Amino acid sequence: MYEHGGRTAWVVGAAALAATAVVAAVLLWVGGYDPARAAAAMWSGAFGTRGAFVSVTLVRSVPFLLTGLAVAVAFRAGVWNIGAEGQLYAGAIAAVWVGIEGAALPAWVLLPAVLIAAGLAGALWALIPALMKLRLGVGEVITTILMNFVGINFAAYLVHGPLQEPRGVFPQTEQIADAARLPALVPGSRLHVGFAVAVAMAVVLAAVLRWTRWGFRVRAVGASPRAAWAAGRIDAGAVVLATFLASGALAGLAGGVEIAGLTYALYEGLSPGWGYTAIAVALLAALNPVAVVGTAILFGALEAGAGAMQREAGIPAVWVVAVEALVILAVLATDQLMRTRVRGAQTPGDDEGNVSPEPARA
Amino acid sequence: MSRNHFAVLLFALLGLSACTGQQDAETPGTFRAALLTAGPVSDAGWYAGAYEGLLLLRDSLGALVSHQQTRTPAEFDEAFLSYASSGYDLIFAHGFEYQDAAMRAGERFPNTTFVVSGGGRFADNVVPLIFELEEGSYLAGMIAAGMSRSGVVGMVGGVAIPPVEGTFLAFEAGARTVNPDVQVLESFTGSWDDVAAAKEAAVAQLGRGADVLIHNVDAASFGVFQAVRETVAAGGTAWALGMNRDQNDVAPDVILGSAVIRIPESFLETASTWQTGTLGGRPIYAGASEDVIDFVLNPQLLDVVPAELVAEMTAVRELIRAGELTVPRVPFVEGEPGVR
Amino acid sequence: MTPVLASLRGLVRRFGSVTALAGANLEVFGGEVHGVLGENGAGKSTLLGVLGGVVRPEEGELEISGQPVELRGPRDAWRHGVGLVHQHFTLVPSLTVLENLSLGRDAGASGFALPQTRVRPAAERMMARTGLSVPLDELVEDLGVGDRQRVEILKALLREPPILVLDEPTAVLTPAEVDSLFDLLRELARQGRAVVLVAHKIEEVLAVADRVTVLRRGRTVLTSERGGVDPHRLVRAMVGEDAATQTAVGLGAATGGVVGEASGGLLAGEVVATLDGVRANRASGAAALVDVSLQIRRGEVVGVAGVEGNGQRELALLLTGRLSPPAGVATVPDGVGFIPQDRTVEGIVGEFDLVENMALALHDDPDAGRGMWLDWPWIRQEAEAVRSRFGVVAPDVGARAEGLSGGNQQRLVVGRELRRARDLLVAENPTRGLDVAATAFVHAEIGRITSVEGGPGVVLLSTDLDEVLALSTRLLVMTGGRLLEVPEGSRTREGIGRLMLGGLQPDV
Repeated sequence: MYEHGGRTAWVVGAAALAATAVVAAVLLWVGGYDPARAAAAMWSGAFGTRGAFVSVTLVRSVPFLLTGLAVAVAFRAGVWNIGAEGQLYAGAIAAVWVGIEGAALPAWVLLPAVLIAAGLAGALWALIPALMKLRLGVGEVITTILMNFVGINFAAYLVHGPLQEPRGVFPQTEQIADAARLPALVPGSRLHVGFAVAVAMAVVLAAVLRWTRWGFRVRAVGASPRAAWAAGRIDAGAVVLATFLASGALAGLAGGVEIAGLTYALYEGLSPGWGYTAIAVALLAALNPVAVVGTAILFGALEAGAGAMQREAGIPAVWVVAVEALVILAVLATDQLMRTRVRGAQTPGDDEGNVSPEPARA
Repeated sequence: MSRNHFAVLLFALLGLSACTGQQDAETPGTFRAALLTAGPVSDAGWYAGAYEGLLLLRDSLGALVSHQQTRTPAEFDEAFLSYASSGYDLIFAHGFEYQDAAMRAGERFPNTTFVVSGGGRFADNVVPLIFELEEGSYLAGMIAAGMSRSGVVGMVGGVAIPPVEGTFLAFEAGARTVNPDVQVLESFTGSWDDVAAAKEAAVAQLGRGADVLIHNVDAASFGVFQAVRETVAAGGTAWALGMNRDQNDVAPDVILGSAVIRIPESFLETASTWQTGTLGGRPIYAGASEDVIDFVLNPQLLDVVPAELVAEMTAVRELIRAGELTVPRVPFVEGEPGVR
Repeated sequence: MTPVLASLRGLVRRFGSVTALAGANLEVFGGEVHGVLGENGAGKSTLLGVLGGVVRPEEGELEISGQPVELRGPRDAWRHGVGLVHQHFTLVPSLTVLENLSLGRDAGASGFALPQTRVRPAAERMMARTGLSVPLDELVEDLGVGDRQRVEILKALLREPPILVLDEPTAVLTPAEVDSLFDLLRELARQGRAVVLVAHKIEEVLAVADRVTVLRRGRTVLTSERGGVDPHRLVRAMVGEDAATQTAVGLGAATGGVVGEASGGLLAGEVVATLDGVRANRASGAAALVDVSLQIRRGEVVGVAGVEGNGQRELALLLTGRLSPPAGVATVPDGVGFIPQDRTVEGIVGEFDLVENMALALHDDPDAGRGMWLDWPWIRQEAEAVRSRFGVVAPDVGARAEGLSGGNQQRLVVGRELRRARDLLVAENPTRGLDVAATAFVHAEIGRITSVEGGPGVVLLSTDLDEVLALSTRLLVMTGGRLLEVPEGSRTREGIGRLMLGGLQPDV
């Protein structure tokens, strides 16, 4: 499994930070911007104040967290669900529809209904590639990516047509009912209850993977489908299907929470690609749900800092995006490097490339 | 809220980070203006004009300015919050998509004024800034019909929102005054920055016989110009018309003229109104009579446009400026006829 | 005086906390077949890996043809004339046999012609010469392990290296193939080449080797001419003097003798599994099992001998409920233990620890938790029980299975599956690759569980005739997808061999 020792994680973090700082600073300096000022803005925008941390960083971490969990659970079962983006849109569509149509319902009915609808829609979106994989043997990497395009464009169609706001003027939906909106988690801040929901999901998922029969089967199928079948008598098809649906539901929930917690309406371009970034979020967390909370906040901080870099240091968005991408690359690369070395030291033969000599095999 | 209050808030926000904040130290007598765009200010069009406007506020009024490009609706609230709580007085949100978030922010930050370009709703401190680009596009339609040999002209749009549909409606109406039988093609690509899609749409219209194309696809307009250029290079005859900003120098060999919004000037005008304390509670309409909207012929191609056509167009422009001719538009602001 | 072709001195190599080599020596002369013996984990494969360039020693010297060399990889080793046949497979499954044989070969003078055209005649000549026959145009992924092993050996032989190193090549070959391989090795030695051979059966090594080296715990403890040793001395060298007496009982089986006519027959009880007119197909659609009927009773050991790939796999999957037959009726019990052929791929999850590997057998057991929850402390106890009872050498049950030696992985699988086998145990080559002591232990366990009242029935599918002969109370031969009962008078290596060969004739 992908695990770090506590100290290793610290080394990884420090090394990544140093590498990133150098590369990003050089890049900005070449572009004629003041790296120190950019760094300061980035820090203050992400962690500088309680307000920045709670109302910006944590808020931004929510979609990363939920889609990151979606990817993590899928990958743990060896299901390469690259479709969190499309599933997120499916969830957002369902959430906005229920949130508008159910305006007459009280909040304690409507709000759960909105989130459940979002999860179901995400699962439904995942069901199609899941069935194609299980029944037809079509690889899910391609089908989930294609379903993303369908989801993104279906949302675009809806906001121009059937779900367009009643005046029919702008390509967006009507706003959802007040009763469908997630209340603030921290009074006076922008942080909504969706963050707590997402963290709870992470804890539940971790517990399920660790302590339940189903979670064990997921891990077994992901670690070795052959052994899971031969030694574990596990029906991999059932595990893949259930995991695919759970993954889709989490991604769908991400869309629903975004609608119910922040935008209150569906727009084109709701997600800038969270479903794809989620892969980095999940891998960086070594597919460990609790660690996803941490990596999602890291990515949220990065986004929050990026906004502040524009506002406070006057660095254009394209530069900010480039710096952000660099940070992600540096973190992933450093992490992978450390992980390889750690594994290499533990596993006989790995450092030899292709051979497991005596200790591993008689 | 006093100036000192601003400083306290600012320092609270920037807090522990030592390096920030010092450059932004309060200077008495200045005000702070921010700009939000949903696209890059390097688009040589809609967003670039807004950014120039922001810089104009800095240079003419001594305002402290800042800009942020937002990528998702989830960032709208965040950007408004960040600016409003760091003491920005006037926030230009350059696009209709900001209006819901601006209404929410307006309620929460009564001391900040939010100007939403192309917005449809308003409050005491939330002001839609409506550019009546139809007036320029009406004049562009006259030139298009007058220059077309095939009697077919085309329009390539980004997203079919009322302000865009309005410019096309006016373009068609203007064209008909010159040639009542003119055929007008229309297509939307669904994107403001998909150059390839815009080019594809333009090529399709050229293939159906159109020989003068206007666009309203913002940054993707390069695709339209490129399609026209390639037709010319292949021995055909075709012209293009610019939109939003004076694009005549973008493709000086094929662009006859541009329907322009003088966004910088209208920002400056809006900011001045704010300084007098009279901004708010109603939408601002900025058209030809305010000298914000115009149609600018490309000086390099003046000799290919018949003088009579230019004279006819100029005469109509004066009528519009004087308020004697009303150009058709698609209403979308609260309180306008047909809008709830 | 024959020249020293390779000389390895004072080799030390550690993997993490495990010391694989702790001062091992090996000297190989041209013109000899040199056998290397040792218990699981003694360092045999690592030593050969050093010679083959895939393992770099931390200390020690390596000389080839009298020159000190440092091998940076397998290619380096090839350049110095060392050809290594791996114990595990290095073939590309999605390529044909011929393409695999051609990999890494130069394309020839033109630079464009694919090497296959030159390799085919060479491969055909080598097959004729060695008696190792493989279908050149089949995809490797469609081959059984026996054929794959043959391809590996052919691949090395085609390059005609001066020093040929084979790591347990005989495990999956038929007796006849083993004989012809040994003839070939002796022939190569006569040409002045050196052949280094690791085999897990002492009698095999003694049958072909001119000299023998024994490793124990990473050290060379004995090197001798064949004439200077006997099996008992070798066993003592391999396991150490004090342990030798304990393993003596296992020696019989490992060297081909018959260990206690496994009693079972008398106790054979109720029927636990029934196959009735069962058919099964391979993925390709070809028939794997043709009208197979079989009854297994408690307490009996049904031995199924046969050449790899004659339907044994499908039979095992049917009996363990992992395959349902497209025709016929298979009635199998719940409490089935399954010792799969390829334990590292099918028996264990390498990245799981011992407890989690134990859970593979327990995750749907009602005793292993309440409702949806798993009771990990209980499963840990079960894992501890298997570890101590079966002598699985691991730091603790929290250690990853992939860090265990092959023998210990096998012990883990055997222990777990024996626990699971309340009604039936299906074992595919359960002692392949095990050392003498471990083999004896597994055999003893099979004898033990079948001799207690209410014990399970056992189906032993093995290509090792000695093992089948030693353990079975009923003996069957699988050939061409059919099961043949071995008549009492044919219960000899030769008799069974004749029945097995019947299956080599084309039948589909």
